[in-house]
Amino acid sequence: MAAGREVRAGAVSRRRSDTRFAWSAMAPAWVFLVALIGYPLVLVVLDAFSHVNLIKPTVGGFAGLDNFAQVVSDPHFPAAVGNTLIWTVGSVVGEYAVGLGSALLLNRPVRGRGAFRALTFIPWLVPIIVAGMTWSWMLNPDFGIVNSLLVKGGLVHRPINFLGDATWAMPTVIFVNVWRSFPFFTISFLAALQAVPEELYEAAQIDGASPWQRFRDITFPDLRSVSLIIVFIHVIWTSVNFDFIWVMTQGGPNYATITLPILIYRYAMQQFDVGMASALSTLMLIGTSLVFVVYYRYRRKLSEEILG
Amino acid sequence: MKIRTYRRVTHAVIYVLLAILAVYCLFPFAWMVISSLKPIDEIRMRVPTFTIHRPTLDNFVNVLVEHNFTTYIRNSLVVSLAACALSLAISLLSGYVFSRFYRRRAVKYTNFFMLVSQMIPGVLLLVPLYITMRNLGILESKISLILAYTTFVIPLCTFMLSSAYDSIPASLEEAAVLDGCGRLETLRRVILPIMVPSIVSVGLYAFINAWNEFMFGYVFISQDANRTITPAIMLFKGANSINWGGLMAASVIAVLPVALIFLFLQRYFMSGLMSGAVKG
Repeated sequence: MAAGREVRAGAVSRRRSDTRFAWSAMAPAWVFLVALIGYPLVLVVLDAFSHVNLIKPTVGGFAGLDNFAQVVSDPHFPAAVGNTLIWTVGSVVGEYAVGLGSALLLNRPVRGRGAFRALTFIPWLVPIIVAGMTWSWMLNPDFGIVNSLLVKGGLVHRPINFLGDATWAMPTVIFVNVWRSFPFFTISFLAALQAVPEELYEAAQIDGASPWQRFRDITFPDLRSVSLIIVFIHVIWTSVNFDFIWVMTQGGPNYATITLPILIYRYAMQQFDVGMASALSTLMLIGTSLVFVVYYRYRRKLSEEILG
Repeated sequence: MKIRTYRRVTHAVIYVLLAILAVYCLFPFAWMVISSLKPIDEIRMRVPTFTIHRPTLDNFVNVLVEHNFTTYIRNSLVVSLAACALSLAISLLSGYVFSRFYRRRAVKYTNFFMLVSQMIPGVLLLVPLYITMRNLGILESKISLILAYTTFVIPLCTFMLSSAYDSIPASLEEAAVLDGCGRLETLRRVILPIMVPSIVSVGLYAFINAWNEFMFGYVFISQDANRTITPAIMLFKGANSINWGGLMAASVIAVLPVALIFLFLQRYFMSGLMSGAVKG
């Protein structure tokens, strides 16, 4: 009886010391996340309803919805919303297509496959600034290699000013983003493809299924789950991406590539209006949360479907 | 007979497509290196050539000596190494708890918070982070960048390391604990040595993430002394008429560490990426 109590007391104290250990080992992570993500997050929402200026400390006070009204009535706001949508959808669709194509290709059992796989991932590893600069140089209308090849090949008569022409600028930055970001899709698809049992294909082949039928009925359904998550992640990442467009066009020419993150930067670092920047950030946070809700719903539906 | 020709044709088609893919992925790098080695008159040619008539290192000397890139490289190295070490130290601890105490409520809360924070993009926190750094008095210093880079990789590093711990049987450390080893001691002496491959790939992720980052470096640092390499390239471009040769030389320098890491540690890196990607 006494021994049993002792054991229980031992178990309780062990459990307690475990809990203490668990919390203290996670404490550093918490300190960082609370101080540099949690606290700024609260601050951004508070600032959205206040008058705050980055360089004028005298500006202050409750602003109500003033900042939001100012953001929405900004003449560049509708264009920025539209551009953000085009930029996001265009990039993700392109990355998906190139990623899926390259994954199917790299999944074929041929010699040298490992080397091809490795070099496919290289664009994803370089700094965005390097990708942006190298492509800007290649697409340069005066001395760029791409225009030179296009003219020589007779595809165009005059060099195209890819980044300086309002109609070409957006497709061009999307193209460069696809080039740099598709390997993430490739890696994810390759990992998922390796999980597809080989026997399924053999059985289908014996049943006389064409390669297209095999892809449609076996491969594609198995990729749905991984597709959902990477498309979701990339919709978020792309819609909030600042670097690519800033590095290549800074939102130009003549606001042709201005997106919401560029607007946030301009409000904050060029007009020093923290209130407006925070209001727009808050709006974008609401937007990304909505995307998350859609993703979550769809995810549940998909798991129910897969599990039956 | 017919089947054999069919096979051969598909094989050929696959190799052609693979070659196209390789050119698509690598051509920009080839062109970057070629351009960085060209003298100015060959850079400014209406019809650019693939061959270099008079190869030169002028562009490299120019950016390294005259445009301070040695300083920027050093800053980038310091910041990236510090961020890498710090995020590893933090995530090795939190990842361990995630793996061994996954049923605890503490872990569930933390896991949820990390997942959510993963979904909050840096640009939306740019302004409050800037103000926070200013209030802490560390704006314009490397510390601001180290702290920011560490924070944003902690969640993913924790998830990756926790799955690495999962593959190590708990009986191993129980034996050590029975022998009277403390928890941290056991972790350091018994478990970490087996985990080296995972630690390397997670550390590389943190390093490359910090090395490649642009926005915080561009916004937090406005003085030359602490500037890192990615914003430096952007500012180099902005200076009056664009010196494309120099710009490509600077790009080669910025890619070099990542390329070397990838070449030598490709195996670690790919498996790490694959497992990270699957977890997504």
